[in-house]
Amino acid sequence: MATQAQKTHPYHLSEPSALPLFGSIAVLVTAVGAVVFMHTGFYLGLVAGFVLLILMFIAWWRLVISEANNGVDHTEVVKTGLRIGMLLFIASEVMFFFAFFWGWFHSSLPILNNVAGMWPNNDIEPMGASGIPMVNTLILLTSSVTVTVAHHALVEGDRKTATNWTGITAVLGVIFLIIQAYEYWHLVNHQFGLKDGIYPSTFYLATGFHGFHVLVGTTFLIVCYFRLRAGHFTPSAHIGFEAAAWYWHFVDVVWLFLYINVYWWGSSAFGHLKPLVQ
Amino acid sequence: MINSRWMLFLLVLFSAATAALSADAQVVGAPQPWEWYFRTAATPVQVDLIWFHDLIFWVEVAIVLFVLGLMAYIVVKFNAKANPVPSRTTHNTFLEVAWTVIPVLILVVIAIPSLRLLFFMDKAKNPEMTLKITSHQWYWSYEYTDSGIAFDSNMIPEDQLKPGQLRLLDVDNRVVLPADTEIRLLMTSEDVIHNWAVQSFGVRMDTVPGRINESWMIVPADKIGTYYGQCSELCGVNHAYMPIAVDIVSKRDFQSWLAQAKTKFGRLDADAPVKLVQAETQPSLDAR
Amino acid sequence: MADTHAHAHGHNDHADHGHHPTGWRRWMYSTNHKDIGTLYLVLAIVASFVGVGFSMMMRLELAEPGLQFIRDQHFYNVLLTAHGLIMVFFVVMPALIGGFGNWFIPLMIGCPDMAFPRMNNISFWLTAVGLILVATSTVIGGGAGTGWTVYPPLSNHTFHPGMSVDFAILSLHVAGAASILGAINFITTIVNMRAPGMTFHRMPLFIWSMLVTAFLLLLALPVLAGALTMLLTDRNFGTAFFEPSGGGDPIFWQHLFWFFGHPEVYIMIIPAFGIVSQVVSTFSKKPVFGYLGMAYAMVSIGFVGFVVWAHHMFTVGFNVETRAYFIIATMIIAVPTGIKIFSWLATMWGGSIEFKTPMLYAMGFIFLFVVGGVTGVTLSNAPVDMAFHDTYFVIAHFHYVLSIAAMYAIFTGMYYWLPKMSGRMYNEKLGQWQFWITFVGVNVLFFPQHFLGMAGMPRRIADYPDAFAGWNMVSSGGAVISLVGALLFFYILWDTLRNGAKAPANPWGVGANTLEWTVDSPAPFHTHEVLPVITAEPAGSHH
Ligand code: HEM
Ligand SMILES: [Cu+2]
Ligand SMILES: [Cu+2]
Repeated sequence: MATQAQKTHPYHLSEPSALPLFGSIAVLVTAVGAVVFMHTGFYLGLVAGFVLLILMFIAWWRLVISEANNGVDHTEVVKTGLRIGMLLFIASEVMFFFAFFWGWFHSSLPILNNVAGMWPNNDIEPMGASGIPMVNTLILLTSSVTVTVAHHALVEGDRKTATNWTGITAVLGVIFLIIQAYEYWHLVNHQFGLKDGIYPSTFYLATGFHGFHVLVGTTFLIVCYFRLRAGHFTPSAHIGFEAAAWYWHFVDVVWLFLYINVYWWGSSAFGHLKPLVQ
Repeated sequence: MINSRWMLFLLVLFSAATAALSADAQVVGAPQPWEWYFRTAATPVQVDLIWFHDLIFWVEVAIVLFVLGLMAYIVVKFNAKANPVPSRTTHNTFLEVAWTVIPVLILVVIAIPSLRLLFFMDKAKNPEMTLKITSHQWYWSYEYTDSGIAFDSNMIPEDQLKPGQLRLLDVDNRVVLPADTEIRLLMTSEDVIHNWAVQSFGVRMDTVPGRINESWMIVPADKIGTYYGQCSELCGVNHAYMPIAVDIVSKRDFQSWLAQAKTKFGRLDADAPVKLVQAETQPSLDAR
Repeated sequence: MADTHAHAHGHNDHADHGHHPTGWRRWMYSTNHKDIGTLYLVLAIVASFVGVGFSMMMRLELAEPGLQFIRDQHFYNVLLTAHGLIMVFFVVMPALIGGFGNWFIPLMIGCPDMAFPRMNNISFWLTAVGLILVATSTVIGGGAGTGWTVYPPLSNHTFHPGMSVDFAILSLHVAGAASILGAINFITTIVNMRAPGMTFHRMPLFIWSMLVTAFLLLLALPVLAGALTMLLTDRNFGTAFFEPSGGGDPIFWQHLFWFFGHPEVYIMIIPAFGIVSQVVSTFSKKPVFGYLGMAYAMVSIGFVGFVVWAHHMFTVGFNVETRAYFIIATMIIAVPTGIKIFSWLATMWGGSIEFKTPMLYAMGFIFLFVVGGVTGVTLSNAPVDMAFHDTYFVIAHFHYVLSIAAMYAIFTGMYYWLPKMSGRMYNEKLGQWQFWITFVGVNVLFFPQHFLGMAGMPRRIADYPDAFAGWNMVSSGGAVISLVGALLFFYILWDTLRNGAKAPANPWGVGANTLEWTVDSPAPFHTHEVLPVITAEPAGSHH
């Protein structure tokens, strides 16, 4: 590749890297490990795959961070590219959740699904909207505010405030996850488990994948927290933070949809649909 | 239709052959060698379907020939030798509007009969009897809900075929249905998705576990005969081995068949559906 | 198409400054769009050996009624599933999108590489992992005999208890993730890295086709990922998404699958539209007729492609209103498709056409795509689908648009761009022979299947009633001819790489005016490091 001195274009051509191949092998190990685990219960392959994957992610993002910090690679054009890339990634994530919401409505609305059934199935007592989910809604909404505060502070050059509020956002994420774990524990013991039919299936997978995204977003924020402390971000250059904030807003919006449809509507009288017999 | 004469010829040939071999009802709804057109239409739905198909078909043939003609012209006129200097034309508003609007018009012409036929074929208006069809891996069960008859219908394995019986098409217990009768078909499945398809009736409906699908048929008396179909949704190993055979008989013959069937197949017991013949004739993997 | 009157620093590729990686590392660790494109093409070729090999085994079995070679019908179902999956995900997509897209997006929009070169690499390797997993699924766990559509309940734990379906699911998961990353890369590159002066309306149509395709990938594949996840948890963790006994519904799978699946068919054919547009314009020595109409026809096909999915489900028992909607929506797609066909014809009209092999293939594409397209209109009419659903008519239809049209586009692109990729010219005479052999082969192979479908022969069976014997024999004969065509293609490829004459930067003359023809052949390792400047008016405006 052209050495920096000769560079005649604003783009970032990354050097050859072993990481993609390594990461793909990690994926292969994970996939095979997962199949073996599901069929035999032998889990070491799966665990090994996850470990390799996590190593790959760490190495990859360290590399990206070093490129972001070297002052040459991330030109304005490259930053625009990164922003576009992140938005597209979020768009694809939205479509992933679209599938699970579709599942939710397909099985709950008789107009979409003419199976003569009951909703929720088997007289399951659905998860209500007040209490735990309400608290979690407040937490996530608050966290959306705190991350915005951090962003503004960062743009204004107030690094300390930005750092603190980012940290607070991450902590809120962690609290959300702890509460959700408690909610699951409670539900499994008192209301319904994963295997209890279609309502639990849609409930656990939709909220579960959301929870996983909160985990990812929180990790992203924690990384941003340390990068802020290390002074990686400037008022004009903080793509990593921006991406984390966008991702966090996305996670927040998904939750609002979950809360309104799955928790609130799904447990209201209207959400209890009587069988539509032939 | 150009094809119908060709088909008639084959039909005569074939029915002559089968008539010699079996005393059964005349077979009118079986596939023919080198067939390249629909089987005989037995229901008004299938008659309309074929008519409608032919309409689209000729429109499409016209389109394909039109494109082919244009290409032939292009090859002759606009090859590098014949036309050394290319034009630079890249726009012609009239043409561009034309090739947008004309296809729309053609589609409208297709859509109107399409929707009419769709609504016509949907459900029976005044059903006089009901046949309930349940699919299993890999046979069909039929239930005459009005007369309480139920039986299974299995393919006859190759080594048990009698002369005149069709390999992969004939079954031990055919469905017998009266002519001139509007019949409601209700379908469901016990295991995976199958599909009950008899082309001559214009019926092709998935049987889905957990759902009851509905279709209908009526065969006029001049179409009395035997009709064949095959499962048309991949359902596992023996998907190719669960054919459908239907005898359409006169109303009178149907009554006498019913009387026999009642003794043969017994009274329907909802709790313990009778699997009368399954054990002997269920095609197993090694039987082949 | 953009008349790229690039500021002529034509051979801007002072290729050998800096170091490039050599040896195996060059390929394993590549962050170079051309090398990655080549890797994708190699992967597609390797996969096609398997995919085509399986189809030949099936046609061999189907040549006569009765079971001759394949003793076990389940094995047939496994071959059929693997054939479908491999052809779709590991031959057509990697060749058209990964291969040509990677090679020519940067070359044609005038930038040095893709937006995220490292991510580009992992897209490739994940695709390779997907191929390994799908191959594994055919040999371990009894094989997946579900068809490429993987409909439950047949694909659930009760009816496919082995590991195979899980391997297939994860294969699609991984290949899907690869494609999503690839789509992000493609869109970002096209949106963000066009050479100065190359406005959206000056982009070559191949670039438009890649942009639309990438959006379809980005939005359709995650839905498949969701569906696969549900199937995986149904199979292994006791959820009930598709289980009627737990209140679920097998038809829900079909919705999700086809919500992905219909855009997927456009994912395979829109790149073909792009390639054919370039080639038709090049060999007619004319700009594309109605450039904007062509571009926006693809965009509208992309949009409408998302709202027609249930035309694959006309027999599942929808109410009539639903079916009526899907009939109309589906037929609407014929309009932009027609615009494309007629614009290609109008591009050739008045041209000074040279019938080199790529042009033959492009014209073959147009004609045979029309043949496959009109039977699509037939099938879009739910009432007629009552006669054709799941018969050989459907097999004939989609092989005309996939096996013939999409494969023709791959051949078109290979012949057209091989000089640029390899620096050598193929043997024109052999190329023309290969075209005609393939033309005869595929038509003899697939045309009689229309008749079989009319007569009611179901698809996905290894043994059929004796009456169907005649056309099946003809069809299998066509398969042999097609195989000869395919083998001849591989010979031509090998011959070109070994003995081909040296190719000039632009072997196709005045008609070839997109940017890739301004760089040397073979394209040097680094190209467009000095960005070309595009000054021409958008093609299509009068000049
Ligand atoms: C070499 C030429 C090809 C031959 C001889 C061939 C042959 C076949 C055969 C025999 C079947 C099974 C039919 C059945 O039993 O239902 C089939 C299915 C299929 N083929 Fe091909 N094929 C060819 C090329 C392609 C290509 C290029 C594609 C590209 C996408 C393709 C996609 C499919 C798909 C999606 C299926 C359906 C699989 C299923 O039912 O699940 N084929 N093909
Ligand atoms: Cu079947
Ligand atoms: Cu479709």
